[in-house]
Parts: sequence; C-alpha cells; structure tokens
Amino acid sequence: MPDNIILEMKQIEITFPGVKALDQVDFTLRKGEVHSLLGENGAGKSTLIKCLTGVNHKDAGQIILDGVEINPQSPEQAMEMGISTVFQEINLCPNLTVAENIFIGRQPMKRGRTIDWKTMNRRADELMERFHLDIDVTRPLSFYSTAIQQMVSIARAVDVKAKILILDEPTSSLDDNEVKLLFDVMRDLREEGMGIIFITHFLDQVYEISDRMTILRNGHLIGSYGIHDLNKVQLVTEMIGKDIDVIFNLKRADVKADAAYMLEAEHIGIPGKVKDISVNIKEGELLGFAGLLGSGRTETAEMLFGAEKTAKGSIRKKGKDVSLKNPHDAIMEKIAFCPEDRKLDGIIGDLSIRENIMLAVQARRGFLHPMSRSEQEKLADKYIKALGIATPDAEKKIAELSGGNQQKVILARWMATEPDVLILDEPTRGIDVGAKAEIQRLMLEMCGDGVSVIFISSELDEIIRCSNRIVIMRDREKVAEVDGATCTQQNILNIIAEGSVAGKDKEAGV
Amino acid sequence: MKKRSFNLASLTRSKITWAVVAEVLILLVCFVIRPDFFSIKIQESTGVLYGSLIDIVNRSAEISIIAMGMTLAIALGGTDLSVGALVAVSGAMALKLMRWDVLEYVTPGNYSVKPFWMAILFPLITCTLMGLFNGVLIAKGGMQPFIATLILMVSGRGIAQILTDGKQFTTMYAPFKVIGQGNLGPIPMPIVIMAVVCILMGLFVRKTAFGTFVESVGVNRSASRLSGISSDAVIMIVYSITGFLSGIAGLIYSSRIMSNDSNNAGINYEMDAILAVVIGGTAMTGGRFSLVGTLIGSIIIRTIVTFVYYFGIVAEATMAFKALIIAVVIILQSEPVREYFARRSDKRAMVKRG
Ligand SMILES: Nc1ncnc2c1ncn2[C@@H]1O[C@H](COP(=O)(O)OP(=O)(O)OP(=O)(O)O)[C@@H](O)[C@H]1O
Ligand SMILES: [Mg+2]
Repeated sequence: MPDNIILEMKQIEITFPGVKALDQVDFTLRKGEVHSLLGENGAGKSTLIKCLTGVNHKDAGQIILDGVEINPQSPEQAMEMGISTVFQEINLCPNLTVAENIFIGRQPMKRGRTIDWKTMNRRADELMERFHLDIDVTRPLSFYSTAIQQMVSIARAVDVKAKILILDEPTSSLDDNEVKLLFDVMRDLREEGMGIIFITHFLDQVYEISDRMTILRNGHLIGSYGIHDLNKVQLVTEMIGKDIDVIFNLKRADVKADAAYMLEAEHIGIPGKVKDISVNIKEGELLGFAGLLGSGRTETAEMLFGAEKTAKGSIRKKGKDVSLKNPHDAIMEKIAFCPEDRKLDGIIGDLSIRENIMLAVQARRGFLHPMSRSEQEKLADKYIKALGIATPDAEKKIAELSGGNQQKVILARWMATEPDVLILDEPTRGIDVGAKAEIQRLMLEMCGDGVSVIFISSELDEIIRCSNRIVIMRDREKVAEVDGATCTQQNILNIIAEGSVAGKDKEAGV
Repeated sequence: MKKRSFNLASLTRSKITWAVVAEVLILLVCFVIRPDFFSIKIQESTGVLYGSLIDIVNRSAEISIIAMGMTLAIALGGTDLSVGALVAVSGAMALKLMRWDVLEYVTPGNYSVKPFWMAILFPLITCTLMGLFNGVLIAKGGMQPFIATLILMVSGRGIAQILTDGKQFTTMYAPFKVIGQGNLGPIPMPIVIMAVVCILMGLFVRKTAFGTFVESVGVNRSASRLSGISSDAVIMIVYSITGFLSGIAGLIYSSRIMSNDSNNAGINYEMDAILAVVIGGTAMTGGRFSLVGTLIGSIIIRTIVTFVYYFGIVAEATMAFKALIIAVVIILQSEPVREYFARRSDKRAMVKRG
C-alpha cells in the first residue's frame, strides 16, 4: 500500500571530515507506525535524523514527504513541514519557564501583538496533565530533574500537531513509569495516524512499542524488518555484526576473603539531600546502587567524591580518615567519579578527545607538570582502542562524537587516572548493547585488579549481573543491602516498593 | 595534492587567516597613500629603528600587553573591564613614589624620591592585587565578570586621583624614561617589553597545562571542577595576570608622557583589548583561544588608527571610522563568510582531484 507511506528517504549520503556518517541509506516510514531506528554508537542514527530535520545537510539523496521532495534547512523549517523532533541532547532553555519552553516560537498571541500568558500557561498545564506530570509550569525548567525536563521536551514535540514525530533516545533518563506514560502517548498518536521514529538502545522497549525496525551499521543500511522478523539475539547480531556470546558470559568479581576495606563512609549526609547513610566497599568489590530516580544515589556518590561536601559523619580510605572538600581532594585520594549528566558535567565540548581524556590525570598532576604531547597521545590512543571509541583520530572535537561515544570518552578520562575507587553513575546510559557489555566487562576486569567499583544504574538486570553487594535506596535513605549473587530483580523491586520497614528486616536477615 | 587542498580549506576556515588578510589590505591602502610607508630607517643620532611600521608596533605595546591577559579572561567566558582604570592607577602610583612628598619636590627633575625598584614594583603589585580582587569576586562571590570588573572600572580612576591628591605630576627621572622612550639596541623599549611579555605568556599557557585548564573551565566550568581542576584558582590567577599586565601597560604609558594622567591614561583600553581578542579569533563565549591571534588583532587596531591619521580624517570622525573598519574585519571573519570561502576552496580541490 504505497499510499500509506508518508516519508521516504532515498540513497542518503553525509560525509563529515574523516568519516562517512551515512552511505546510501534508504528509510521508509508509514502512516500510523512506530518505527525503531537501531544501531551501535556512531552508526549514524542521529545523523539520519538530523538530515531529515535540516540540522545536517545531505551530500546526496532525496527526502520525499507525502510524495513531495523536501529539503529542510533548519529544524524550524522541518517543523513547519510537519516534522517534530526531540533531539538526543535536551535542547531547551533552562532559565525559561516550563510553559515558555513548550511554546517558544509559537506563543499564543493576544490581538496579534502581545503574548497571551494566561492561555499559554493554561495550555501548558493541560499538556502536562496528559503526561500525568504534576508540576508548576511557571517555574524555570532548571528547577526540575533531568527526567522531567526530558518529558517536557517530549511534550513540546508532541503538542505540535505534526505528521512525523522523531524521538532520539527519549527514554534514556526516564524511569519505568515515565516510559509507560510516554508509550501510552505514543500509542495514542499512532492511532491518530502519525508516523513515529523511535531511537533507543533499550531493546525491550523496541519490542514493546514498535511495528517495524531499521538497522544501521557504520553508516550503512543493514535492512528494514517487521518487529516479528527478528528476535532479540538476531537483532543484536545484525547491529554489531558479530555474535554476542560475550555479553552473557560475564563473571562476577571474586572478592578475596581477606580483602581490606577500601572506602568506609559512616553516617554521611546533607540536609535536604541524603538523610544519613553508611556504606563500605572492599578492595576488588563491585557495589551496586539500586533505587528509583531521585532516591539519593547520585547525591551519595557525590559525597563520596567530594563534589558535595558531606555535612556530617566521616569517610575513611584504606583505614585513614580523609576530608573530601572538593573533587580535587578526591582525585588526590585516587577516587574517580563519572557523573550522570554527560552534557552538563562530563564533556568539555570544544576540546578534543585527547584533551578530554587527559584532563583528570593532568588535574591531579597540577598545571605546572604538564603531560607531553606524546604522552597525551599515547594515553588517548590507548583508551580509544580499549573502549572502541568510534573516531577517525584523537583530535576530533568531543562534541562531534555520537552520544554513546562521548560517554566512552568520559569513562576513559577516569580509567586513565588508574583509580582505587571508581564511582560510575549510570555509565551505560545511551550506550549500545555491545558497548554496554564491554563496559561491564571492563568494570569487572578492574575489580579483578583490586579496584573498588561503585556502580549506579537504573537497569536492575545489569546491577544484579555485576554486583557483589547491592545497596538499595529509597526516599534519600538506604533501606537495604542485599547479596548480588543470590537476589533477584523481584526481591529488589519488592524492597523498593515496600520501603523501609521490610527493607530493614531484610538487611538484618542477610 | 590532496593534503594541500585540504589545508587550503582549513586555512580559509580559520579566523586568524582573515585577520591577517585584513591587516595586509589596510597596510596596502596605507602604502598607496604613502609610498614611503614600508620604509624602515635607522635614526643616525640614536641608532634606533624608525618608520611607520615600527611606530605601529611600538604604539600597540600597551594594548598588546593587556590583551594577552584579556584573551585568558575571555577564554574563561568572562571579560575584564577594569584594565583601563588599572593603567591609570599604575601610572599614578609610580609618579607618586617618584615624587613622594610633592610639596618639597616642587620641580620635576632627574630624581626619584623612593628607590626606582619601588616605583616599578609597587604599582605592579597593586595592580595584581586589584586583579585578584576581581578574580575573588567572580570565583568566590559568583558575580558576573562584567559586573565584578565594572566596580574597579568605575572606581579605579578615583583611586588614582586619591593617590596623587588629584594632581598631575611630571618627572624627568631618566631611568623611568627608558621604559617608554628608551631602546634596547636598535629596538624601542616598549616593543622589547611587549615581546618579552608575549613570549612569556605564550610559554606559560602552552608549555604548562594552564592554557588547557583555562579553555576547559571556559567551556564547561562544572565538568572541569568534577574533573579535578580547581576552577576557582584558575579564575583568580587569570584576573591577577590581567591586573599585572595592566600595571605594566600603565608604566609604559606614563613613561611615554613622563607624567600621570588619571583622567586620560588607558581610556578605552578595555574596548580595544576586547576587540583585539575578538579579531584574533577567540570567541566571547569562551573556550579555545589564540594569543598569536590576539597579537595580530591588537596590531590591526593600531594600524587602523594610523590609517585614520593618514587619511586626514577629522578627529571627531576617527572613532566612527575605526568602528567601520573593525566592523568590516569582523564580518570578513564571520561564520557564513568563512564557510563560503571554505566551500569554494573545497570545490576547487574536488575539481582538481576529479
Ligand atoms: N558534527 C559532526 N562533525 C563530525 N562528525 C560527526 C558530526 N556529527 C556526527 N559525526 C560522526 O558521524 C558518525 C555518526 O554519528 P551519530 O551521532 O549519527 O551516531 P548515532 O548512531 O546517533 O550514535 P549514538 O547511539 O551514540 O547516539 C559518528 O562517527 C560521529 O563521530
Ligand atoms: Mg545518537
């Protein structure tokens, strides 16, 4: 049924200095379907989207929307043509209100001249209700968490009555309930006949929501399939181009019986952020942190790294009291922290991959002891290879890398410091399956070398797969600690759901 | 072949290239107006080089020196508006030390009341501390650089007035004269000082990791802090450097006129320095910077001023004319124009290859 087709992209080619990001890629979207776009980090998914929305310009090929060839020059133009997009990196204005962010560029007007604030705020309220978000739309966006910000940018894109909706990794910082909400909205829109392009690295979500999928690898089209044509293992094989037994062959680290305590924190806390928490970790141990978004996992990590100074209690490293007033103190103690928000706290966009990797090492040495250029290059090349960062060379600006590869560079920055304690806050967010397994393998390998790893993740299966022990947090408190080898996802979910009482019993029992 | 054409494209993409093109164009026009423009001679009595080109570089010394610091402040995403006022402070202080008890030393002469080193060192220390004050307000007080440095911009000249009781002193102390009017061999002293400052700054930012830290903090302060860089310290050091360099510029300026002039010394220097940095290819948003670019920028600005004199433009119109030329330079450097030329040379390269 060709009349069902709303969008056709034919033989698209895009070249960046040093990389052919897309090579003769075809893509077809039908009315009323959710179409997943899949591929490894750097496969060209975002680039294909950006070509469709006029951010990047194609070197060759055709885009046909509703039978008419189009050539959008900017996202605004694309939006006028009926293509609405949520980009991978949230690009809203943090200091504008939620309502302003939703209606920016298309504010309701009063008598055609002044902005009708009342209508704007009311309509924003209605929209938020549809997403079951109970927030004050007149507050600045920055007041709210990353998850809510992401929901706002989705709401904004959905509200424009478009023919095509594009979602580039919209679920990376959403929790299960929020994902469910988003999927409900997507199903409604599908009913209305909208075509939706969905990019994600969560394969379960692909099977849950989409009708068809298209796979890219290294800028090439691998194929388009109906959702039932491929099972998950076949899908992954197509994506990474090789078998993936490795992923499922991870072995938890062995903590030596006589291993000493690496880091012990007693009754640390910051009023309003984390109530009071005590955790410890042994040499070579992998300690997982589970809990919902906003349960205080990140804040705890920040205290252990000195990014936020603990207001009370004490922290001991290898039995010695340490005072961590700022990240620099922590780095001197060989503690490393890979933060959750890559764009805000991780990448230095204008600098090269090499500089981004060497930064923490250099910061520890102080600026008077610079690393030589060749030392830097050696370091960068080593980790580009070790982590499989997809780039032509180390001099590329980190901002020009694909999202997942940026994440790997930040990881490399911390691995390069050869830490005793490595704290990873959602390190696998936005990372493809192959790389995810690779990162888990690296974590475990480091444990084997005696490094203590603290691993925060919202994906329970990966926490359980890797951790020796798991700390469960809820409402800014530790509610339980369970053994990684014996617990199940359901155990953890129950503890999170039941809350502190059940959790405390459990802790006593372990 | 492939390599060379690729380089051509990246060359046309660089802002510095366009700054050099602009400079050459202005110089050529000067040459047409005055055919002796490029001649450099040795003055027979003193053995010092002279000529229009030498004069341009010589006169650019103050701005060039200040702009070295300004580059770092702008790379941090900030700016320093107080530099002009600090030039006045530095001069006032030097003159005050040389003429300590003014009532007794009414007539200027070849003497200095306080030892010479004091008349040099104290102004520099004072200006450095004032720069540090800016840095503390910005790093620890969380103030916008624009506002924080506005405080000293406005009050600095007042401080200079107070230092000298509102008087304008002159001096004829020979060692002091050397700074602005002397020479080292055939080269005028301001050029020597400027060269030393530029080289030392270049070594400091590129041979240590300081330059990288500045760029990193300028691009993303939060991420830099989390990577272990003491962002606050970097900010305070940069503003102290800018203060220190303003102090040097103040000494050169007051030595040229052998006097302090709290109302006119260093006037508009902040604007010229910022322009020099921008023309030199460093973005006001912070991040990557180029000291070489800034040096070229500062020389361009001085060339324009010379050019305006040669054109015989009435004094009132000088500023407008200067602004006009600067606008043209900046448009030449703008993204679309550079992209246009880069694309053209890309195409040409492709044709050659194909
Ligand atoms: N502006 C740019 N300049 C240079 N190269 C770029 C630019 N944008 C993307 N690339 C390169 O193009 C390739 C494809 O990147 P893209 O962002 O499309 O990947 P992706 O499939 O979205 O990956 P991810 O899952 O990590 O987001 C990468 O090799 C990337 O480095
Ligand atoms: Mg992407």
